[in-house]
Amino acid sequence: MNWVIAIIKVVFIWTWCLLWATVMTWAERRGSAMIQDRLGPNRAGPFGLFQPIADGIKLFTKEEFRPKTARKILFNLGPILFAIPAFSAYAVIPFGDKIVIGGKEILLQVADVNIGFLYVLAIGALAVYGIVVGGWGSNNKYSILGGLRSTAQLISYEVPWGLALLAAVFVYGTFDLRQIALEQTGTFLGFLPNWGVFKQPLGFLIFTVAAYAEANRVPFDLPEAESEIVAGYHTEYGGMRLGLYLFGEYVNLYTLSALCVTLYFGAWNLPYIDMSKFLGPISYGIASFVVFWLKVMVFLLSFIWVRWTVPRFRYDQVMRLGWKTLIPLALFNLLITALFIQLTV
Amino acid sequence: MAKPVVKKKYTLTERVYLIEIIKGLGLTFKHFVFNVKASFRPGPHTVPTCWQYPEDRREIAPIFRGAHMLMLDDQGRIKCVGCGMCAKACPAQCITVKRGKVAEGEESKYVGKTYPEEFVVDLTRCIFCGFCEEACPKGAIVLGPEYELAQYTREECQLTKEGLLANYYKAKEEGKLKPPKKPVPVAASAEPVAKKAAAAKKAAPKKVEAQGAEAKGDAKEAKAKEAEAKKAEKEQKSEG
Repeated sequence: MNWVIAIIKVVFIWTWCLLWATVMTWAERRGSAMIQDRLGPNRAGPFGLFQPIADGIKLFTKEEFRPKTARKILFNLGPILFAIPAFSAYAVIPFGDKIVIGGKEILLQVADVNIGFLYVLAIGALAVYGIVVGGWGSNNKYSILGGLRSTAQLISYEVPWGLALLAAVFVYGTFDLRQIALEQTGTFLGFLPNWGVFKQPLGFLIFTVAAYAEANRVPFDLPEAESEIVAGYHTEYGGMRLGLYLFGEYVNLYTLSALCVTLYFGAWNLPYIDMSKFLGPISYGIASFVVFWLKVMVFLLSFIWVRWTVPRFRYDQVMRLGWKTLIPLALFNLLITALFIQLTV
Repeated sequence: MAKPVVKKKYTLTERVYLIEIIKGLGLTFKHFVFNVKASFRPGPHTVPTCWQYPEDRREIAPIFRGAHMLMLDDQGRIKCVGCGMCAKACPAQCITVKRGKVAEGEESKYVGKTYPEEFVVDLTRCIFCGFCEEACPKGAIVLGPEYELAQYTREECQLTKEGLLANYYKAKEEGKLKPPKKPVPVAASAEPVAKKAAAAKKAAPKKVEAQGAEAKGDAKEAKAKEAEAKKAEKEQKSEG
């Protein structure tokens, strides 16, 4: 019975992530249009909502073209290597508290691992292999440049990211993401919601900046900088291989947003209100899921918002920001957090 | 000499960058809200910067030069006499005119004694410069308001007499016929030129001697008058 529930959860969260990744492609195009005084795709369906379906049909029916000089195995492997970590990273992140059906308590989380935190970090770092392998396999100078940039960027931003997360671990005292979510109930200092962002404001800032870099999003989308290196690592890709890259990116965004909500914005907890007290077991499960999802959506949309506000950094600026600003800041944050905990506990 | 590069000194808030980003986010959010609101307005033309073409069309300018029309006069007679001056003037050589004599009993259909037996405008060659319109002594060929000229075959792009007349009828029906061009009277046109000259005199820098300025102004006026005289002559000739 347990494994049936597990499979249902896996299928559900996959479909859910894919659904919102699809909607994100629409939101990205319409949202950017609204920001830039345009209209965006508005022909397919109401408000152009069927545009992602049309895009999907197009990508699926397109010719699977591979350049003559590309490395066949690596070229085919690239998108897969990129998509697998993207689709598997969500496994340990909760998407709600728990739901009680027929006297059976079901955690709204695929796997409640006590080192869930490290799993997300490890899997997130794997995604760069897809980019590098794809860039190398394309046998194209722009692709390889994109792959190289992605590697350098990931190495640079993994450090402050990890340091910011380490400070969060200091605060919560656990690697278990569900436990971290549970700790964020009640109030902090008597008047603030007991959320990570109030305990770790600097850490949240560093986390966000590094997350944009990890997800290869503007202003850190140097691996695919159109104005410099055509389309970077996916220059030679088309059809559903390209679709996997683009889709994987949005799934990554969903995962990152969920991680951010879990760590810094109280997961499924509403400020000042304890939902579990006045809601039934099933409705509480659904409510916690909806609250979590809404918080994730805010972050997803902010990814779009930032993308169409801030222009892309120059490469040396990205490196300078990573090594000379974020790492010292993250270390400082870590020091302060450690001192504070040492002195108060 | 090369212009020295002056680097802007950034203030502390600008160097922190985060505050500037937040300001930028505020700006884009303003645009976002405005456009989202606008896109819920009724009518096809919602967001002010976008015209959704097949549904809404922009007003064309009164001087717009679209597909040609063969004009009729008040009594519904074809103005064209088939002189072929438009074909001569055409830089793209897209107009073919064949002159024919008006047969007896058909005088009510044409203004002149001759008429265009054949009148073809090759729209694949036309550059819509409007020289034909200017060359025509009778005001018989005019570039109309029609601009949707895409066709599936080359043959359909050959605008024949019927097509030219159809364009005229369509424009008339839609009330998009341009007001007929009237020759500008010499006296009326001389005035603005004189005014311009006067303005030039005023605008001339003080260093230049007054006499010189006057002389310049006079020369301009004289030139303008000459040009007008020539124009008038031409018009007289063409009318004759």
